[in-house]
This record gives sequence, C-alpha cells and structure tokens, in this order.
Amino acid sequence: MANPIIPDKSVVTTCAYCGVGCGFKAETHQGRLVRMTPWKEGKANHGHSCIKGRFAFDYYISDDRVTTPLIRASIDDPWTLVSWEKAIQHAASELRRVQAKYGTKSVGAISSSRCTNEEIFLVQKFARAVLGNNNIDNCARICHSPTQFGLSATVGWGAASQHFDSILQADVIMIVGANPTEGHPVFGSLMKRRVRQGAKLIVIDPRRTETVESAHIKADVHLSLRPGTNVAVLDSIAHVIVREKLYNEAFVRARCEWDEFERWTEFVSSDRYAPEVIGPTAGLDPELIRKAARLYASGPNSAIYYGLGVTEHSQGSTGVMCLGNLSLACGMLGREGVGVNPLRGQGNVQGGSCLGSWPHVFSGYRFVTDDEVRGSFEKDWGVTLDAEPGLRLPNMFDAALAGNFRGMFIMGEDPVQSDPNQNHIIEAMRQMECVVIQDLFLNETSKYAHVFLPGSSSLEKDGTFTSAERRVNRVRKVVEPLAGYQDWEIVVMLMNAMGYLATYDHAGQILDEIARLSPAYKGISFELLERIGSAQWPCDEAAPEGTEVLHREKFPRANGRGTFMLTEYVPTAERTNDTFPLLLTTGRILTQYNVGTQTRRTQNNRWHSEDVLEISAHDAHIRGIRDGERVKVSSRFGCTELKAKFSERVGSGIVYTTFHHAETRINVVTSDLSDWATNCPEYKVTAVEVVKVASEQTAKRAAKKKREHVVTA
Amino acid sequence: MSHKTAHAESPVPSRAVPLERLVVMANQIADFFSPYPPARRAEGIRNHLRTYWDPRMRQDLTEYIAAGGEGVSPAIVEGVRLLGSGPDPKGYYGPPKA
Repeated sequence: MANPIIPDKSVVTTCAYCGVGCGFKAETHQGRLVRMTPWKEGKANHGHSCIKGRFAFDYYISDDRVTTPLIRASIDDPWTLVSWEKAIQHAASELRRVQAKYGTKSVGAISSSRCTNEEIFLVQKFARAVLGNNNIDNCARICHSPTQFGLSATVGWGAASQHFDSILQADVIMIVGANPTEGHPVFGSLMKRRVRQGAKLIVIDPRRTETVESAHIKADVHLSLRPGTNVAVLDSIAHVIVREKLYNEAFVRARCEWDEFERWTEFVSSDRYAPEVIGPTAGLDPELIRKAARLYASGPNSAIYYGLGVTEHSQGSTGVMCLGNLSLACGMLGREGVGVNPLRGQGNVQGGSCLGSWPHVFSGYRFVTDDEVRGSFEKDWGVTLDAEPGLRLPNMFDAALAGNFRGMFIMGEDPVQSDPNQNHIIEAMRQMECVVIQDLFLNETSKYAHVFLPGSSSLEKDGTFTSAERRVNRVRKVVEPLAGYQDWEIVVMLMNAMGYLATYDHAGQILDEIARLSPAYKGISFELLERIGSAQWPCDEAAPEGTEVLHREKFPRANGRGTFMLTEYVPTAERTNDTFPLLLTTGRILTQYNVGTQTRRTQNNRWHSEDVLEISAHDAHIRGIRDGERVKVSSRFGCTELKAKFSERVGSGIVYTTFHHAETRINVVTSDLSDWATNCPEYKVTAVEVVKVASEQTAKRAAKKKREHVVTA
Repeated sequence: MSHKTAHAESPVPSRAVPLERLVVMANQIADFFSPYPPARRAEGIRNHLRTYWDPRMRQDLTEYIAAGGEGVSPAIVEGVRLLGSGPDPKGYYGPPKA
C-alpha cells in the first residue's frame, strides 16, 4: 500500500480562515487531503502559517457534513432527504409563493465571507435580479460595515491602504481594537518582527493582550481605555496633534480639502477633548494620551491597523472616521510604511464588501440609487433593478417581527449564533415561511430552516478570495465537492429554477462578469492570477498587475482629495449601573475561528474546548468567585453560564469572553444597540453582572449538558 | 411622499422596523451630524436616509413626524423635510455638502 502521508497531488490554494489570506499547498493522497503546507510564494504569508490554516482542515470530512439536500414543511417537522432537483424546485416555488403572498420585498438573501468572490457576487445578483429587490446583506454587517462607511467618507475607499509587507517600513505602529497575534497570527508575527527591529508600538485596547506584551515585544504606550470610549480617546489624540501643531500641513494642503481640515481642527481643539477631560472618562492617564499622539505624529512612517474593537460599537463608523482623520492630518498615507488598515476577520470579508453584497451599493461601493451605475447592471443582466436601498440584516429580522418579511436565502452564515440579542433573532426566525440554508453543517440557524442545501467547503471549489490587503487570491478545487456541487453551481440552479436564465461553465466566467461590471476588478481574471499568482485591486489598464499601496497621488473621491469628518463623542446608551456593574467585551482566540463551525470539528478544539469568562481577581474575589468556577453572566437582554478564569489581561470592571462555542450562547447576553450609520452591533460593550453558580444541582446540570454536547458533537 | 396623518390618533403601523427602534436609529444619526451647522446637518441626514434606509423605513419615519413625531430629534425633522429635494439624489460619501 502507498504511504498515506506521502501526497500524490498538490494544489496551491488560499486559506479560508482569517483575512490574511495565506497561500497553501493542499496535498492529497488518493483524493483525501492529508497536509496543508504553507506556500513560500504566497505574497501574504511568504511560507508562514498559523495553527488554524496549517492543521484545522479535517472539518471538511467531519461526520456532521450534510451531503444530501433536506426539506420540511414546518420547523417542527423532522427533515426529509430529497434529491437536488426536488430541493431546488421546492426552494424556488416556496420563495415565489412567499413573494406572491407578502410582496416582492418580503424575502432577502445573506451571503458569507466564507464563500468566494464569485459566489458572493452571484448571491447579490440572485437577490437583485431574481428576487427583484435589494434585500441583500453579508456578514460584514456585523463586523466591518463601519469600515466601509468611515473610510469611504474620509479617504474614499473602504479598504486597507497598504499591503501587509508595508509594515516592515513602519517606524510607529498603532494597533487599535485588534489583537493580531491571536486574530491574524501571520500578520501578527510580521508586526512583531518589525517591533523587534525597533519600531515603536502603540496599542489602544481595553485588554492587556499578547499584542501589548509577549515574548520579545512590549508596547511603548498601551491605552487600556474603558470599552465604548474609542471616539473620545481618538479625538483627544487629535486634540493634542492639533494643539501642538504636530500635523503635516504640507500634506493636507496638497492632498486634502483644506476647509474641512480647518473645521476639524477647530472641532477637536475644543477643551472638551483635552486629555485632562477625556482621561478620566476613558480611565486613562492624560499623559499617556499625549504620549500616544506625539509618537504617532512623529513617524516618520506611522501605520494604523485596527479591528473589530473599533467597529463593533454604537459609534463604530465614527471611530473609523477618527482613524481616517488622523492619518490624513499627519500625512500618513500614500507610501509604504504608513496607512490605515482594517484587519479583516474572515478570509473573504473584503471580497464580501467589494462585491456588492449590501442593500445600498453595487460592487465597488457604488450606490443603487445611482441611475448610471444601476443602468450598467440592468444592461448586463437584462432586468430592471430596484432603485431603492433594501433591508439590512438586523432590519430583516425587525421586518419579520413587523409581519413584512417571510423568506430568506442564507449562504454560509449562522446568524442565530453569531448575531446579537439571540432571543430576538429566534423570535424573528420563527416568523419565516421559507428559510433556505446553504451550508456544510446543520447549525443554530438551520433549526428554523425549511430547505437545507448541502454546500461545499473552500477545499471543494474554484474561485477567488480578496484578503484584508485587497489581494485577490485563487481558491482552487483540491477535492471533489462532497455533496456533488460547488456553491456557485447551487445558486445557478436556484436562479434557473426561479425563471432567470443563468449559464456559467466555470467560476472564472463569473469573475469575468465581476471585472466587466466593477472598475476596481477590471483587469482581474483567472488567466491573470494563473500568470502572476495574485493581484491587489485596483487592477486595470493603469495598474495591470494590481496596486500595492493606495492613494499615492490622489484619493478616490470626486475631487481627488481626502477629507475630514467631525467626530463628536456620543457615549453609548449601554451603561453600567448597580444591577449590571461590569462591562462585557467579546473576541477571539488563536486556535478557534468565529462561531467554531469548522475549528470545533478539528483537533484544534483540544486547545480551547470551551469559552471561558476572563475576570480580574479583584472583581472575582468581591463576588466570592474562585478560579475555574461556573458563573452566571446576565445583562438587560439575557443570561448564560460559563466558567470563570482569573486573568490579568482585563482590568477591574471589565470581563471578556470568546464566542466560539454555541452552548455558551453569549449572544443571548449581548445588547441590541448598534452603530449609528450601519447597524453593526455593539458586541464590544454590554453591561453585565457575574454571579457564582453555587448549587450542586446546577453544576450537575452543566455537567450533563456538556456530556450531551459531546455525544451529539 | 405622503404626508397623510391617517394614523395620527394611533401609532403608525410599522412596515419594516418597529417605530421605537426607528426613532432610536434616527436620533443616533442626528447625534452624529450635530457638530455641523444647521443647513449641512439637515443635508447630511437627508443624504444618509436617502442612501441607506429602505424606503419603507423612510416613509414610516416621515409619517410618524407628520403625526407629531414625539421623541424625534429636531435635526431629523429638518433632514426628513429635504427628502426628495436634495442636491444629489444618488448619494455621496464624505462630509455633508454645504
């Protein structure tokens, strides 16, 4: 017998976990994946990898994989196994029935950043051209939608200004609300390399994360601000920069709208943003705010990297604008070593954003209300399109409760587990008459579904992902789809069944359509990617092999100039009080990925088999909680139980947990407040109380629940 | 746009988003634009509602304001008044236009 660890085939593809987009050689033996070897030519990872991409791939052959389509009349019925033809016909006729009964706009679609660009583009086409409305959203709604809004407003494009390697030329690195060593490990290592070489590090984060201090690195300034005070602190940093005239006037005069800059300087220089005023609000020493401001402005090359700690707030979009303002004011854009860069959480969340899976914009962030843009899609697709914005994901749930939304197509998402205020979402899901889910596994959301279409993992399909550095990478089919079809093929079948003729021979033809209709992707094709490996958008005649650094000469705004937004600090309505005196904030851990659909089904689960509540010893002691004891976490919205873990990473008054395990149900606790501009949920701030779960009976119940989970998992 | 006050005596029935939530969302938008002078503030709100809100949400808010608009920020009332008459109906990113 052939040695099973010696591969007989190797395919270069792209990791589907975080937004770094590492290249891997996926090596198979007799049609089964046996090894993922980091690819040395990968332009994001240069041969490095983390323990998710390297080892967490067995989920694709998990026993939980659904490989036969399922339907049922009611969510209380058991599933019935059916043929593909029957499932597709049933989904199509049910969606049309709902539309006939409740109106064209009573249904919508959700796409996922776990899917390829081609699939995401196709799902939004399905919503707009087949369902006939703009009720299309994607999971970036709950993570980086404020990035699109805030960066579009200031620098013109909602995307990273740099390529990852640019950080090797940064002198000052400012990390805001992100923990790249856990969330984006390969980039985190690159950052640490640069810090070891002498770059200064500023970290703005409530937690003392590994990014703040770990082997061989230590932040020069750590602003451990109170959750919910980002905008106040960033305005205060701007205050110091303006008052001390540390801004780059030559850059602003040459590249930005001077009038708006003047208004902004007047606004942030107000005494109300002085470090002495903001310091106490944010729980910071005013001198540290000054130190951060001076360090950032001094450069000469200062680069900002930020994560969901900026966006997932009621002022998420405002926080992103603050970062845009700061980088423009200090002239930290348009060359290597500088920039403002969102660290995207999912493999293709930049693609999800770029390719029009939004209710208000087509691909390239162009408004559906723009007649000319809409006309170009109408001409290509041969249908009249809705000229009005559609419903956002949270508003779809609202509309379901209001009686005007009754059907959904969900590809690769699990909103019941991942979205906030779970009880509210479950109630909304129960109102639906037709929920079609396309996924690898039955999940929390499929409990409320009527049709289940078994999808394909990223190892089973062709297409592209766009990483956090705007890099379009090839995803290549490594093994045959377990359920028979690549995800894009399933959407095509559904489109045809609903009466819209769609014919694509392979995913590359969908990419060609994307290129035809989206200026930034104009030059991107399978052929180009075969030839040069990958390309960062914009890629067109002017940049036939893509663009590493944005904004070199002008900004992608009508007049070519960057601009400044006024960013008033508005405290969140979610406040602590005597009943809920602690602030809960949530995040991720290195070995697991988001809601854990994939990583929990691999051996990576051994490293982090449950979510724990990080709590300071002080807060625990005054509540009589010992390390490792089970505690109940309650908020205004709900409560759940998990194990307490003493931690020096969180200060007094703050508790932290992850959301990788469904049984933790942490989103029962999180609030329904959201960003003012985008409705991105405020996951990062929920007022809670933590009490010890004392009784033996409860402990037994928990143990039983855990045993049951192990049996079913 | 309809300004009928047919629902004046009873709460306007929600088409998409419950009114209470709609008012919270609208007032958050008003808070953001508050540092801008009145004319730009109203235009910023108009542009935002026009380009980001489902028309049913705009219509519900418009009718609610026509019916008294309790709890709605005055800046939102000014912005809603401009709906349909703004300088750039297709929408734009960036600071509200003067």
